[in-house]
Amino acid sequence: MNVLDERLNDAPKIREDQPGLRNVMNRVDAEITVEVDGLRREFDSKEGKVTALDGVNLQVRKGEIFGVLGPNGAGKTTMIRILSTLLLPTSGKAGVMGFDVEKEPEKIRAVINMASGAERAGYDFISARGNLWFFSQLYGIPSEEAHKRINELSDMLGLQNYLDRKFYALSTGYKQRVTLVRAFINDPKVVFLDEPTIGLDVMTALSIREYILKQAKEHGRTILIATHNMAEVDAICNRVAIIDKGKILACDTPAALKRSLGAPSLVLEVSPVPAPASLEPLGKLDGVKGYTSSVDEERGLSRIQVVVDSDGSAQSVIDSVRKSGMTVVSNWRQQATLEEVFVALVGRGFREREHEAA
Amino acid sequence: MKLHSNPWLRTAYARLWVRAKSIYGEPLWVAVNVGFPFFTSFSFTMVYRAYGLGAYAGFAILGGVMISFWGNVLWSMASQFNWDKQVGLFEIYISSPAPITAILVGMSLGGILGTAPSAAMVAILGWVIFAPPIHPFWPAVVLVFSLTLASLYAMGMALSSLYLAYGREADSVNEALHEPVSLISGVYFPSVGGISPFPFAVQAAASLVPLTIGMDALRQSLGFPIKVAFIPLYIEALILALMALILLLASSRALRFLENKGRRTGSIAVRQR
Repeated sequence: MNVLDERLNDAPKIREDQPGLRNVMNRVDAEITVEVDGLRREFDSKEGKVTALDGVNLQVRKGEIFGVLGPNGAGKTTMIRILSTLLLPTSGKAGVMGFDVEKEPEKIRAVINMASGAERAGYDFISARGNLWFFSQLYGIPSEEAHKRINELSDMLGLQNYLDRKFYALSTGYKQRVTLVRAFINDPKVVFLDEPTIGLDVMTALSIREYILKQAKEHGRTILIATHNMAEVDAICNRVAIIDKGKILACDTPAALKRSLGAPSLVLEVSPVPAPASLEPLGKLDGVKGYTSSVDEERGLSRIQVVVDSDGSAQSVIDSVRKSGMTVVSNWRQQATLEEVFVALVGRGFREREHEAA
Repeated sequence: MKLHSNPWLRTAYARLWVRAKSIYGEPLWVAVNVGFPFFTSFSFTMVYRAYGLGAYAGFAILGGVMISFWGNVLWSMASQFNWDKQVGLFEIYISSPAPITAILVGMSLGGILGTAPSAAMVAILGWVIFAPPIHPFWPAVVLVFSLTLASLYAMGMALSSLYLAYGREADSVNEALHEPVSLISGVYFPSVGGISPFPFAVQAAASLVPLTIGMDALRQSLGFPIKVAFIPLYIEALILALMALILLLASSRALRFLENKGRRTGSIAVRQR
């Protein structure tokens, strides 16, 4: 049994007869801790209404690490803001621990916490320990208990030796660790994390992922992570919802989503680097579910990942690229990644989606 | 419930601690907090002396003391939530169960605690160097000083709500408000009463700022040799108490309103999507 399967087995099972949000709101089934039903959120902009969430449905179970994966602007942060009571839905319902975000925000705030990887929230001239103690007081935690938790959580993240440094003197990585200690300081039942490892080096990101896993496994917390980092979702999430343009496109375990693609995807390295428009015919070939490309500037190559449904389709992609005048430097087949799942669903990769949005 | 386990008190105390600790955490700030008001009052005292108005020196020293608190209210109270919003602290406050009024009250008390030593230093230096003649009635001084601070910081709380709503230019608004309010509220010379250079309409408008009434009440209770009373002391004390109460209620309601509005419009956090 591999690590992922072990995690899946550890995740509490959802009841098949789970009838939906009404149950959560009536506190009938305690297994569902986060539930979203037909959630829609619009923002006013100069160009008119912008739809950030467009009828989202989700259920997250107790003790589960649930990923919401999508490119920038997909609606992930909006969903987290609604669930953490900072934003109201335009329509639809959202509930945490059976409480309605619209009608019972105070009850939700007592049992949740949230953190964003992009935040550097703290008072500069106060030590990391002082900042964390201050945040603990917002939840009315007795000082002795608060200091105990600060030490325990800091130990897990390797922050112990930095606790007495002033906040401004901490590096980005250590400020982020302070943020993550803060997110668990009140012993929350549900934690919302928005891009928790963004901008961090590989080792720091790994230790943070381990910390998140421990929090879910040892303390039974439900953790909802919004991210565009596919490796992160693959490494720690029991289930993942793929979101684009405010809509959930698929929701399952990472392994099941990847298995759903069937054939391994095709990777081509071509030169010279093609204009994006010259790749568009690829998407129209039979058996091609979508593609994404990136440029390897050092080698002067373009790498194209194509999601295909069969070996025959893969061969026709190679033929088509050659016919268009590009040289195929190398090509291979690889097991599908979550990005390719996204490509198969949307027809484009994260990068292309973000460029379109910009 | 034990007093020390009350979440409101815990939040207020923690915010007080952060504010006071931050002020003392940077030695340069302490020097600036003492230096700026002292040199301002020193300059005005020298001008008064040069024109043979040595008896007016007390006005400038009192102004130096009160300008420390006014600066703290403007730069560290009014614009604080807006700054908190920029760095992500405001959304932490809102998404926690902490009462927002406890945060404001803690911030105010911490501001007073952090500013009081600087203000005391200005008072001591001024009185030692210039020895202005005063005949204070101390109970009245303590009462009106406390009421002035209460109403001034309540104004800071109310302004913090306004800045939160329209605070993109908070620093510019602060710059724009600092000197005019200092001038019309009488921190350099009496702006209301017998020797005010302003017409009655300006004096009446200036009286809407708690600092103006507070300064006049302090001048009366300290017993300066030049009598410049605007309105009787006991009425000023009542006005200050009333202002504190109204501004406290207004700030609490405004913050509740802005929280609800922010949840509707998505303006609690800087990044909306």
